[in-house]
Amino acid sequence: MSARYAGDRTTGFASPAADAVEGPIDLSQILDLKNPSRYPVRVRGATFMGRGILDGDILIADTAGSPQVGQLVIAWAAGRVLLAELQKRDKAWWLISGDDTHPPLQVDPARDVEIWANVTSVVREKA
Amino acid sequence: MLYGLIDCNSFYCSCQRSFDPELKHRPVVVLSNNDGCAIARTAEAKQLGIKMGEAWHLVRHERKLSDVRWFSSNYPLYADMSRRVYQVLLDYSPRVEPYSIDEMFLDLSGFAVELHAHCGAMRQAVQQITKVPTCVGWGPTKTIAKLANGLAKDRPELEGLCDLTDSQTRQKFYRNVSVGEVWGIGRRLLPKLHDAGMRTIEQFVEAKPAHIRKIMAITGVRLQAELQGESCLQIAEIAEARKGMACTRSFGRPITTYEEMHEAVTGFAAKAAEKLRAEDQDAAHIAVFIQTNRHRRDEGWYANQFSISCEPTNDTFAICQHASRLLKRIWLNGYRYAKAGVMLNDLAPHGQQSTLFSTVSTKPEQESLLAAMDGINQKFGSGTLFPLSAGIKRDWKPRQAMLSAHYTTRLEEIMEAQAW
Repeated sequence: MSARYAGDRTTGFASPAADAVEGPIDLSQILDLKNPSRYPVRVRGATFMGRGILDGDILIADTAGSPQVGQLVIAWAAGRVLLAELQKRDKAWWLISGDDTHPPLQVDPARDVEIWANVTSVVREKA
Repeated sequence: MLYGLIDCNSFYCSCQRSFDPELKHRPVVVLSNNDGCAIARTAEAKQLGIKMGEAWHLVRHERKLSDVRWFSSNYPLYADMSRRVYQVLLDYSPRVEPYSIDEMFLDLSGFAVELHAHCGAMRQAVQQITKVPTCVGWGPTKTIAKLANGLAKDRPELEGLCDLTDSQTRQKFYRNVSVGEVWGIGRRLLPKLHDAGMRTIEQFVEAKPAHIRKIMAITGVRLQAELQGESCLQIAEIAEARKGMACTRSFGRPITTYEEMHEAVTGFAAKAAEKLRAEDQDAAHIAVFIQTNRHRRDEGWYANQFSISCEPTNDTFAICQHASRLLKRIWLNGYRYAKAGVMLNDLAPHGQQSTLFSTVSTKPEQESLLAAMDGINQKFGSGTLFPLSAGIKRDWKPRQAMLSAHYTTRLEEIMEAQAW
């Protein structure tokens, strides 16, 4: 069967590559999708075009890390799920809009503005 | 030894909340298969008086419940979230036993110093990574860990953590806690223990073993030893391969015709056969059952089951044929059927138990066909390819009118974020 031949088990001449098979590249491994803290999230809107993120892109979000300046994050704000940039001002964290259409929004779980995950990778199904 | 038990709070509801900010402060209830009754409730929903097992169709229009968000059960989501919780826990304990989808036993031996901080950090990690809140209890035996977990959950002042390692701490609790709180002591047993003068755990622990043995045999004696801190139950890690496989469903509406029931049973047989192949097993015994609604006996009550032994197989088509023959034996016209199922038993590794007089051993081309079918169903979603006899319309399927997205298992349903 086709799935069982990986460049190794030839019938006539022995494959010189038999001990060197590495298999195809596994993107789920590279994106670490089996890690319990990794979640795929779909982007709606294009305000982060400047950072190379388009409408319909899939982001790989990681819920395990800690906040970093300049990091793209998935945030929850008053019942909405947002993609925003994280900045620090006066010892507080702020959500920054991608194209300055919205004023900065202070991260404050007491007011239902909180970071859900850091964005670690972008996947575009059709380039 | 030191055992821990971590339990996810209102697990199904918490999973729904993990992906939907609008649920944050709202009462959430998850319903059983077929949108029947409440099987998980958030604290807010419990406060509104919604009981476990409460029938959704009876209370859905009550005004005081207008703010409640009801969900059909989304088991693919809960299974994946349970997998995530398990994986996080492996960073905090070398051995984790998933006891149920939402509670796991932990081997905490070797963390004796700073155990409180360790469990607190573990709880915090599960919360951050899966967004699911938990409680942790621990002690020298599994029974004590389970008890500690219950206390951590019931007593807010413990802040989700309860340590029953110390026998003096235990004694204090034992004196004030009902023996009914102990793992494995159910409602049926309780009156008997009460009659024997055992109301609190302390009374149970101090009773004569012979006395307990009379009421609950050896399990009771073992339970007593466990409560005294003597460990009888070990960490089991992952459950062994199942001895049987079943596919059973309640219908979204009653089935009254043989044709529809035949479709349903064939579909269940196909699904069960698929599960069998996923675990690379054969079945040598097949059973089919059908039944009417147990709660509507006024409409006529009928339930029957029939089974046969057969050549070991995991071939969908062979199993569907057997199921079809079995159904013919038990079918009666004139009833309104509410539930049916197919059960496969006498499982053994595929291809191992071929019998001397084997006549129907799966042919290589049949194996390829089944492998291709499984491949297509894995790639394009379960139920893409199925035997036509399982029917196409299938509008008797269980109701799942309030199903949320499969946020973590289907790419077309992942969480969406608005670029801000």
